[in-house]
Amino acid sequence: MPYQIGVTIRAPVAAGRVSELRAWLAGAARQGLAKGQFGFGHVRGLHFARFYLLEETADLDGRMIPASLVFMSAVDAPGRRHLADLVDVAGEGMAQAFGHCAGYPRPGAGRRARIAWLRRHRVAASAFYVNTVGRGLDQIRQEAALRAALEAHLDGRDWTGRTATEVRSALRAYVAGQPALAWAYRPPPPPPLFFRAREAVHKVAVPAVLVLLLPALLLILPFWAVALRLAERGDPPVTERPALPHLEELARYEDFVTQNPFAVVGFVKPSRLRRLTFRAVLFAIGYAVRHVYNHASLAGITTIHFARWVPLDGWRRMTFASDYDGAVEAYNDDFINIVWWGLNAAFGNGVGYPPTRWLLWGGAQLEQQFKSTLRCHQVAVPAWYTAYPSLSAQNIENNARIRAGLRGDMRPADAQRWLSLL
Amino acid sequence: MTAPIDRGNVQGLLARGYRKLRHARFTVFTIPCPAAGHAVLSWLLPQVTTAAAGTADGALHVAFSAAGLRRLGLPDGVIAGFPAEFAEGMTGQDRSRFLGDVESSSPLLWDWGAPQGPPADGLVLLYAATPHILADRQAELDARLAAAGIRKVTVLDTRELGDTEPFGFHDGISQPAIQGLTGAGPGARALPAGEFVLGYPNAYGQFTDRPLLPAAADPGRLLPSDPAGSGSADLGRDGCYLVLRQLEQDVGAFWEYVAEATRRPDGSCDPLARTALAAKMVGRWPSGAPLVKAPRADDARLRDANDFGYYHTDPDGLACPLGAHIRRMNPRDSLDPAPGTEQSVAVSDRHRLMRRGRAYGPAATVPPADGEHAIRQPPGDSSAAHGGTGLHFICLVASLARQFEFVQHTWLNNPNFNGLYDDTDPLAGSRQPRGATFTVPGRPVRRRYRGLPQFVRTRGGAYFFLPSLSALRYLEQLSAGAVSVPATAATTR
Repeated sequence: MPYQIGVTIRAPVAAGRVSELRAWLAGAARQGLAKGQFGFGHVRGLHFARFYLLEETADLDGRMIPASLVFMSAVDAPGRRHLADLVDVAGEGMAQAFGHCAGYPRPGAGRRARIAWLRRHRVAASAFYVNTVGRGLDQIRQEAALRAALEAHLDGRDWTGRTATEVRSALRAYVAGQPALAWAYRPPPPPPLFFRAREAVHKVAVPAVLVLLLPALLLILPFWAVALRLAERGDPPVTERPALPHLEELARYEDFVTQNPFAVVGFVKPSRLRRLTFRAVLFAIGYAVRHVYNHASLAGITTIHFARWVPLDGWRRMTFASDYDGAVEAYNDDFINIVWWGLNAAFGNGVGYPPTRWLLWGGAQLEQQFKSTLRCHQVAVPAWYTAYPSLSAQNIENNARIRAGLRGDMRPADAQRWLSLL
Repeated sequence: MTAPIDRGNVQGLLARGYRKLRHARFTVFTIPCPAAGHAVLSWLLPQVTTAAAGTADGALHVAFSAAGLRRLGLPDGVIAGFPAEFAEGMTGQDRSRFLGDVESSSPLLWDWGAPQGPPADGLVLLYAATPHILADRQAELDARLAAAGIRKVTVLDTRELGDTEPFGFHDGISQPAIQGLTGAGPGARALPAGEFVLGYPNAYGQFTDRPLLPAAADPGRLLPSDPAGSGSADLGRDGCYLVLRQLEQDVGAFWEYVAEATRRPDGSCDPLARTALAAKMVGRWPSGAPLVKAPRADDARLRDANDFGYYHTDPDGLACPLGAHIRRMNPRDSLDPAPGTEQSVAVSDRHRLMRRGRAYGPAATVPPADGEHAIRQPPGDSSAAHGGTGLHFICLVASLARQFEFVQHTWLNNPNFNGLYDDTDPLAGSRQPRGATFTVPGRPVRRRYRGLPQFVRTRGGAYFFLPSLSALRYLEQLSAGAVSVPATAATTR
């Protein structure tokens, strides 16, 4: 099975074309991206995709940052294939979208030129969270179909009086009799060897280097902590509240299917201390999501399919984007109730975040300030695609367990536990 | 240190459900201009029942929507200090999608509160011990409204308060208690006052957003000052939000569905199975006995049982299905991140509602558990024009977003609730765009009911602010032009 990557492409909007692009995005939203000019439903391995507009703004020193269009996809590797698919399958839509940006190859320019343009405008994420690393789109779809078939089979018969073991045997026999489900008896193949090797090396190498650096880090730590605490004391509480028109714009594109897109953008606090802290925290997050939180839970949150932290404009800004289950209020409550410390460590270095204490405390624990600041910094995602609009991350994990339980012998209690997944 | 709640400043509905005032009528009206609002508010003010007052034979409460507060003269800048959900109202297209008010529940079809209809500016809730007292007080109210030139949008009559809701189940058992304001019933969790009363610390130990005014806008010091110490005048303190929704219940369709779904192979009715399926949907038996405590049969001794959790006794939902109504409305200890722990209960506690609804319409004949009676809608005044039978749902909260709307969207109408795939609340959920499945966990396998009809539809509704007495006095002065708020005033913390 492939591993998953986050592709982020960003380009400045051509002068004078922002309002045109805004209108075009709203139109694309109405039509959806699965079919038509994008045909994202046919792009191989594409789980989620989105476009959003970052409006023109002045940075903290007053320098203008032009408006830009951001495209993001969460997709099965390889990335090279994906860029080609974006041009070959979704080319018309991509050309229309990035046609609003400066320099996108004109119609008539070859596909190589377009692919090269997209590659040139790729932006690297500091960290990319995948709900379950290695679970590809085909696997998700297959396992959803397997569950549907098993559920339908259960519905069609009366099972009263049968033991769990008997029912499980009957279901196994049913699957065995379905050539289309032959794959279900095998475990999903692991990601490619080079990927596993790379991850294994990274998993060990990072702590090894840190151990070497430990004496120096321990020396710096007290100074860093005191400097940070002093800086925190100057941070003002959040008094800004999201404006009604902004909230209405966000609501226009939320809560249609099981998942929602989320995107925030904001400035990094300008001091060197904050930028270094931010980089260090994102490095730690990047490590944690690769090696610790890589199966069905992001530090206790089970509703996120994909998430990424992408520095912009030479680390002056940061955008965080995710595809999550449920509504934004519940999502924010999860942040506040479960991973407040993680949010604080990262976004505590952002301008306009509720004040933190020792980086981890405060911040997201200030419920209303936190919700206000997220909504204020949230960006509408007018054009968004999901490959499985009615499956929650919990459903997908459950489907994988159903498949896993088809294999091998089970004690009666385990067979019963497996049946309760259905 | 938190100040004790000023009971004399809080409208009594926050403290009591008025079980002894069995008759109630709710009047929704439009305020044409501040003067009209002033006329009626001056008359109403001395009659508003506080939490400190006795309620021998009646009670009266008054609330205003955002539109109503504007009509009384509150500038937009101050309205913007209220949370967006309140300022925007219940019927925007995106909010309707969020709340499940779509298709047959669409606000465009509502009897009142519809975006194209007369605005629901104000609300008077009358409660009385006898029908006569209610009629007298209503007549007086009607006369006053008419004299002030105020148009009634709707008058919502209620059924005499009984023990059961229209589907035939004992209701209103699990209510949160408010620390410092209400006593705690059996098994009730006493929550910080700020979960329900604005201006007091909430479950996070913080103050929920509420409208504050510059001190200069309140020269007479009618309002308490912001307890958070900003020096502003606190228009929200001792008040809360009131959600009113007219929910029509198709009692006939509900009992017909469970009867059909449980017929014996020979086609005959199985009354015990019918009631059991209905109970599975609710999570309690008709008597009120919770399924986790009485998994096999109704047990009237447990009718008010409220002291239970789910995770340790029934993690798989074998007794009370994961998607049952009461397991959604109050999941207790059943949800992530740590089911079965105090942390899980604490997270659920952040989404509690103080329910104050009353049933309306003629009582349908609910079939007895052991009989084969057909279910009949009662004859007479049950026409659709009167909204049939149902619930005038009322809940009081300090945060519409974190409490009412969260419960409605994330728990009640969420097809993926608690690991499910396509199940909304079997009793009260919307089936659009998905969610028409009801899964009853079982041994050896679950039973799925598919194509579940929608039994409840929304026929009206609005968000109101239930002000404190001091805020009502301030609004009275404001509507008379005796005080003024600068148009730009907008402080929120």
